[in-house]
Amino acid sequence: MNANLREDLAATSAAVVEEAQGGFRVTPPSIASLGRAVAVVRAWKLRLRVRGSGDAPVHAPQDGVLLDVGSLDRIASVDGATGIARVEAGCSLGALEAAARRAGCTLGPLLPSVRAGSVGAWLAGPTRGERGIPGARRETAALSVAAVLADGRIAESRAAPRSATGPDLDHLALGGSGRLCVVAAAWIRLFPMAPALASRWTCPSLPTAVLALERICLDRNAPARARVVAGGEGARLALAWEGLETAPMERDRAARTLGSLGLVQDAEQGANAWVREPSGGHPIEVDARWASLRGWSQQGEMQLLGMHAGGAFATLALSDARGAEEAAALARAAGARVIAPRRIRDSGPAWDALGAGAVWKRLIEALGVEEAQP
Amino acid sequence: MTAVPASPLPVATPRGEALLRDLAALNLAASCEPADLWAASRDAWPRALLWTKAGTAPHPPDVVAWPADAEQVAAVVKFAAGREIPVVPVGGGSGICGGAVPVRGGIALDLKRLTAPLRIDLPARTALVGAGLNGQRLAELLDAQGATLGHHPSSIYAATVGGWLATRSAGQLSSKYGKIEDMVIAVEAVDGTGALLHTLDGPSAGPDLTQLLVGSEGTLGIITSARLRIWPRPLRRWLRGVRFPSVQHGLRAIRAVLRAGLRPSVARLSDPLDSLLAAAHGPQLPQSLKWVVLGARAEALHVALRAPLLLNRLVDALPKAALFVVGFDGDSEDDCAEEGEAALAICQSDDGEDLGPAPGEKWFANRYAASYRGSPLFSAGAFVDMLDVATTWDRVAALDAAVRRAVSPHAFTLATFTHAALEGCAIEFTLVGLAGATAEEIARSSRDDAETDLEEAEDRHDACWSAALGAVADGGATLSHHSGIGLARQVLLPREHGEGMRQLRALKKAFDPHGILNPGKLLL
Repeated sequence: MNANLREDLAATSAAVVEEAQGGFRVTPPSIASLGRAVAVVRAWKLRLRVRGSGDAPVHAPQDGVLLDVGSLDRIASVDGATGIARVEAGCSLGALEAAARRAGCTLGPLLPSVRAGSVGAWLAGPTRGERGIPGARRETAALSVAAVLADGRIAESRAAPRSATGPDLDHLALGGSGRLCVVAAAWIRLFPMAPALASRWTCPSLPTAVLALERICLDRNAPARARVVAGGEGARLALAWEGLETAPMERDRAARTLGSLGLVQDAEQGANAWVREPSGGHPIEVDARWASLRGWSQQGEMQLLGMHAGGAFATLALSDARGAEEAAALARAAGARVIAPRRIRDSGPAWDALGAGAVWKRLIEALGVEEAQP
Repeated sequence: MTAVPASPLPVATPRGEALLRDLAALNLAASCEPADLWAASRDAWPRALLWTKAGTAPHPPDVVAWPADAEQVAAVVKFAAGREIPVVPVGGGSGICGGAVPVRGGIALDLKRLTAPLRIDLPARTALVGAGLNGQRLAELLDAQGATLGHHPSSIYAATVGGWLATRSAGQLSSKYGKIEDMVIAVEAVDGTGALLHTLDGPSAGPDLTQLLVGSEGTLGIITSARLRIWPRPLRRWLRGVRFPSVQHGLRAIRAVLRAGLRPSVARLSDPLDSLLAAAHGPQLPQSLKWVVLGARAEALHVALRAPLLLNRLVDALPKAALFVVGFDGDSEDDCAEEGEAALAICQSDDGEDLGPAPGEKWFANRYAASYRGSPLFSAGAFVDMLDVATTWDRVAALDAAVRRAVSPHAFTLATFTHAALEGCAIEFTLVGLAGATAEEIARSSRDDAETDLEEAEDRHDACWSAALGAVADGGATLSHHSGIGLARQVLLPREHGEGMRQLRALKKAFDPHGILNPGKLLL
């Protein structure tokens, strides 16, 4: 079988390497080749994993295929005026951010594991490409996704701010880890670059700091970033806003709220750098509701982004040298979902937990993405 | 010559009467009464209004049922799945694309009794709402608790929450609050086998089931309730009118306002004719245009609409100024004014002239009126249709020009640029064309004459609509921003989705393996 499979994979123009522990690593040089490779994998009903870069699978599954899209790293266009970039899935977010900045734009604050990865990994990964947008909301950065179907053909949605043309088919790719279709390229929404305005506060306690942060999000004055650490008599809270005209407005409005909650404003000097300081120790990343973040807050440091009325993405780090596993256990106990590191990521409830297990099975079959059991 | 009967209502079929007995056995309220069958045979699709004028109802359901809760919805679907009987969910009937027309008969499942549960939790910023709850009623209930959903489509008096979700509806304050798909946190739905699905309210993993059900127009599942994001009701609203020398100036300014990080609750740019109509002191228009846009005597309207090219050229000769209505919501007058003044400064830097609050307040006072102005024009022998499409900023001007060019031989056209986002906006085209005889003439005519008139009216409407949709698809824009697809737009769905049509069909097989849920929509 391996010889025939290798031959089929090689015919797609992709580089094919048989891995020591079994399985193949396949690196397509183009989207057309990616399409052909996916079609071969699906026709053979092999287990398929997709690797972009950063925090992504490294090895092929046994008797399966690791599709490495790292060579699909082209940035086709960055339109600073419209705020849209067209990129291939293997493009690193670092490269995209650099290109966006040259055009006067940015991807905005992202979790460290996301920022270290590729566009495809971001979109197909656990955050579904979501990030915070003004007004305490979240939105996926994908304006449109080009996805490879089981037979290798590409489905691409229209690049429009919103549409009402049936269910949002991009959501078969977003968060799907390549199980239903493989992200080949995307149109990515960019924010206009704006200087950050930060402020720093002293709070009576860590839960109070998180509560105050939640409150300003409920008032729609969500900052782009925030950091909460133990310090002084209780906790220190720093926040940064990034809207060109709105940053000073939102900062001042938040200040009214924070003041009314009994928080004391500290000197602003250095706040902007402080709010961005990387977490020490062995940080983990979570997606959590506010109550979960409050529950965890006594354990260590928190950096938050993608804040919305219901919760936030957060990087959590224990205050001493305890490991990520322990931090994750504490986060789970508080009700958070662990996103990174990958080795301890929560897969989250599958569709069966939603009453849709049968739907999922029929969908796998209808899309032709069934995998033979190892 | 026999005059068209005054009430040509559909009659109960043997299948309908049999279904009525079956549904009664399931303890469901149901009916085969002609008036009920007629009411469930149509929505607010202009084509359906032409049917009504002609005294015909070509697609009645076999039976109408009114489930009281999600369990009854599940029971009906399970029953229908076993017999492969179509089930068409019905909300307020305000859809403008024919999405609720039961083209294959079957059971029209009227969901308006699903008003429970209703749990408003303002501190948590959520509301759990039954899918059958009327939009205006929800707005009032939220208002009474100092809350708002921020969703104010012009259909609000008729539409239901489930209808909004099924069609990815947008309200007039969407630039700030988002569309309904941005407001929904989780849904409960019944799939095509009768299974109840509950999507997650909180951090989740994997493909987002909620976003696959929302917008599916009842073809994948029937939404029975939803948890929605709500906000404290704003205490103040700042509104202004700004006149720009041209639409292009206005579009540039909207982009600049959004790029500055400002999120106006209202941001609507009218084309030159609409801008003249909105003038506080009354429009100065050529008489023929007044006949069309202000509702006029039928004979005059007929004459004017026989030459749409000429009418559109008259519009081209009008002054080019474009009115921008911009508004900000907030908790204090100072907060609103702070953002408003910042937006105004941006507009003024692009030659915008501040007209003060009057144009904004006039628009706000009449914001729902547009949806209710069509009937007199239909009675007078015209058709009025609305096409909401969307694209990225770099294509907006070209899309506007292309649709106008395509439609110009068929209908008189107005446009509003609205639902602005950082990367693009929607254009709402209003198309007014000649349909045929007046309602009065139809009432006096024979059945044959009425049918002939309807055929001609449908042909004219088709020609206009096909030209418009073709221009949208050619321009790379999306076919619908917030009205769904229904029957009206599905013919071009393959151009919208391309290979994605196969994903759509796979979803249909997965969610509705018997193919009973709203068959004939989304080309499924």
